[in-house]
Amino acid sequence: MAAERTARVTWSGSLLEGGGRIEEVGSGAFGPLDVTWASRTEESGGRTSPEELIAAAHAACFSMAFSSGLAKAGSPPERLDVSARVTFVPGEGITQSALTVRATVPGIDEAAFVELAEAAKEACPVSKALAGGPEITLDASLA
Amino acid sequence: MPRIVREASVSWEGTTARGSGVVSAATSGAFELPFTLASRVGDPEGKTSPEELVAAAHASCYVTSLGTELARAGTPPDRMAVRCVITMDQIESGDHRIVASHIEATAIAPGADADAVARAAEVADAGCPISALIRASAEVTVEARLEGGE
Repeated sequence: MAAERTARVTWSGSLLEGGGRIEEVGSGAFGPLDVTWASRTEESGGRTSPEELIAAAHAACFSMAFSSGLAKAGSPPERLDVSARVTFVPGEGITQSALTVRATVPGIDEAAFVELAEAAKEACPVSKALAGGPEITLDASLA
Repeated sequence: MPRIVREASVSWEGTTARGSGVVSAATSGAFELPFTLASRVGDPEGKTSPEELVAAAHASCYVTSLGTELARAGTPPDRMAVRCVITMDQIESGDHRIVASHIEATAIAPGADADAVARAAEVADAGCPISALIRASAEVTVEARLEGGE
């Protein structure tokens, strides 16, 4: 079954002097969140940006795919700590998403762990959606 | 051009089916949100999901591209609103994929006519880096209209 997820954003004024707001999302989980061009391309100043949201989507997606893969292999994780660092070059686009995972997984050896992490990196829907663009890197290790 | 880095972090505990995670905006600190498998594929029950975060990213990226194009055409907008719908579906192999992103935009842009908004919307789609990414593996559609226009 298809799942639809929505977000609504408004913007007032010019790109450089005006500002935007993620007014709401379908789940109601967040919003309003302010976004500006300056917070996107310079210091964040506590504001999110499209690239930070992509990083959040990618980290969240990878963590679920990896926990699923580990459980199917008979070694469900106790805990996964994942980060995604997204690099954006204005005029060029998003050039990299670097995933890092530190995990507590009882009863797994390092080689099997790394293999499952790589498989999750390939399979997660957000990785697939990014497949046309940035380099996706993975640094996976057991805690 | 500068390289801009934005980071987010997730802590996940337990299996996919019964566990849960928290996703945080590590660069800005702007959000910290719980998510689960159920909230991703079923009723969200107030929780976000990777696809909802992609919807927020695409809408907030597209709105800046549209504003840039309308300004370039000599009709800078007073205000724009953009809604993005991301659809994830199960494909033949049984895997889930993001299959579509649909953008609906409205703009209040003095001096612009409906054709100018339609042109700007198309160029904005080509210029938005997140449209470009998603288009490589999914369908991206854009509907734009002038508010208060004919």
